[in-house]
Amino acid sequence: MRPIDLFDDYLSGKLSAQDVAEFEARLSSDSTFANAFEQHKTLIDTLNRNEKRNAFKNKLKAIHTSAFGNDAKIISITREESFAKRYGRTVLVAASTAAIVVLSTVAAISPGVKQTNNEITELGLKLKASSDAVVEGIKEGNRLKPLPAPANLEGSAFAFNNKGYIITSSHMVNGADSVFVQNGSLERTLTEVVLIDTKLDIAILKIADAKIVKAWEVPFSFSEKPTDIGEKVYTLGYPRKDVVYGEGSLSSLSGYYNDTTMYQISIPVNPGNSGGPLLNDQGNVIGVIRGKITGAEATGFAIKSNEIFKSIAALTVDSVKTDLLSPPKKQSLKGLKRTEQIKRINPYVFNVLVYKKD
Amino acid sequence: MSNTSINPNKAFMSSSKVQYTEGQFIDGLRTGNNEVLNVLYKKYYNIVLKFIVNNSGTQEAAQDIYQETIIVLYENVQKPGFELNCQLQTYIYSIAKRLWLKQLKKNSKTFLFKDDDENEVVDVTEDMTVYETKEAELEKMNQSLAELGEPCATLIKDFYVQKLSMDEIAEKFGYTNADNAKNQKYKCLQRLKKSFFELLPVEQIERK
Repeated sequence: MRPIDLFDDYLSGKLSAQDVAEFEARLSSDSTFANAFEQHKTLIDTLNRNEKRNAFKNKLKAIHTSAFGNDAKIISITREESFAKRYGRTVLVAASTAAIVVLSTVAAISPGVKQTNNEITELGLKLKASSDAVVEGIKEGNRLKPLPAPANLEGSAFAFNNKGYIITSSHMVNGADSVFVQNGSLERTLTEVVLIDTKLDIAILKIADAKIVKAWEVPFSFSEKPTDIGEKVYTLGYPRKDVVYGEGSLSSLSGYYNDTTMYQISIPVNPGNSGGPLLNDQGNVIGVIRGKITGAEATGFAIKSNEIFKSIAALTVDSVKTDLLSPPKKQSLKGLKRTEQIKRINPYVFNVLVYKKD
Repeated sequence: MSNTSINPNKAFMSSSKVQYTEGQFIDGLRTGNNEVLNVLYKKYYNIVLKFIVNNSGTQEAAQDIYQETIIVLYENVQKPGFELNCQLQTYIYSIAKRLWLKQLKKNSKTFLFKDDDENEVVDVTEDMTVYETKEAELEKMNQSLAELGEPCATLIKDFYVQKLSMDEIAEKFGYTNADNAKNQKYKCLQRLKKSFFELLPVEQIERK
């Protein structure tokens, strides 16, 4: 019998009691035999440990893929309130399929979009019912003075033009029951979601109350000119209840994984900054804050403003499109000191409060 | 031992609705509970990701380092008498930090390093030394198996890991009988042994 076969039989318990005794006696008397056996055992042990390790590695890879996917992810920076936290909702935005959804009762929609439209209409109803409930809650609240229910998600938004349109991130308002905006000069006001582009991650809201919008004079305009790396940029947003200013510079003309629809910026953005404006030195809006790389500090991403106009131009609903393609042309911030710019911009940057049914 | 400290990253963490205590995590890992592993994996990923990305690593590198970290943890909890003397998060961060520093040093002589202020570090030298020694051996085994090629590698694994009988192996690989299969296995194992021990420094065999 070859030593290896003997070793295998011994290790797998195939030897008779007498053979085992002989085997063990030889191990203690014959050092060459004992060494060969030790070596064999080491080899088989290592082989088994290796297989176990590889199986575990594969298991981890599978967990990773199912939990985080293979694609690069940018974490969206929406402020989640306790409600969402309790349910551990993850706000990971993956590069998802293009879907431009128009929320509108306008009939002129091509047949291909019909199905989506039905879905949305239903959502629109839900939105109404829910907002009524909230409004009622507030009315009652005036007597008892309780605070309104905390929103499920909060983020930032800013005025798009003088017609009451407001721009924010789609990842916040997607699937929302009701979306409110508020800031230092505007009380909590209900908005209607007019457009959602999940691929670009922008959404456009509209303040329905014409009285509020009447006096609007948006001080900034959108810059469609290419921007240079190194340019000083800043943002205003609502990572907490009060407006917060953040500044830095434009780090790259492309976003994560060379996504050319985004800029990379060196502004430390925080949960809640999503949807805020990215402004240059002259006070022109050059983008919308989208997110940051998971965990990385001082690296943010913003959607380029010209991409937003491309998305709007692709709309098929004319009445909304016409409104949206007339962004403020007049801009009254050029040459002003940064602090002065901010004073004028502030009324047009909002805290977005999103209510969702879980 | 449940972790109640407020972590700003928590809101982003992918966590299941199931909550486990640290003790339950350790026990679950020890017994190979897949559900526990799943929850644990998701819970601590962002800590390691954040650290690696802030220290000149890519997301892919973070994934690799994190998985290696979980392997170290997994293998250490299997050891009889293993006791966690700090928070699980601290332990995971400390291991990941060590693994990543080692890789950074291997790749370049100079690098910037920034510790994560939110995380404490504990000394994991002992746990890591055992792991690193084993890791070298396993690396050699993988290499030897790759050199061995097919059908040898599968045959060896079928016999020594899957514990298939020679009859089953003969049928699977199309040998006429169990004796032929056994001879084939013998030849394959000799080649594996030669290749493995040549690659392995003598010192490491003796350390066992």
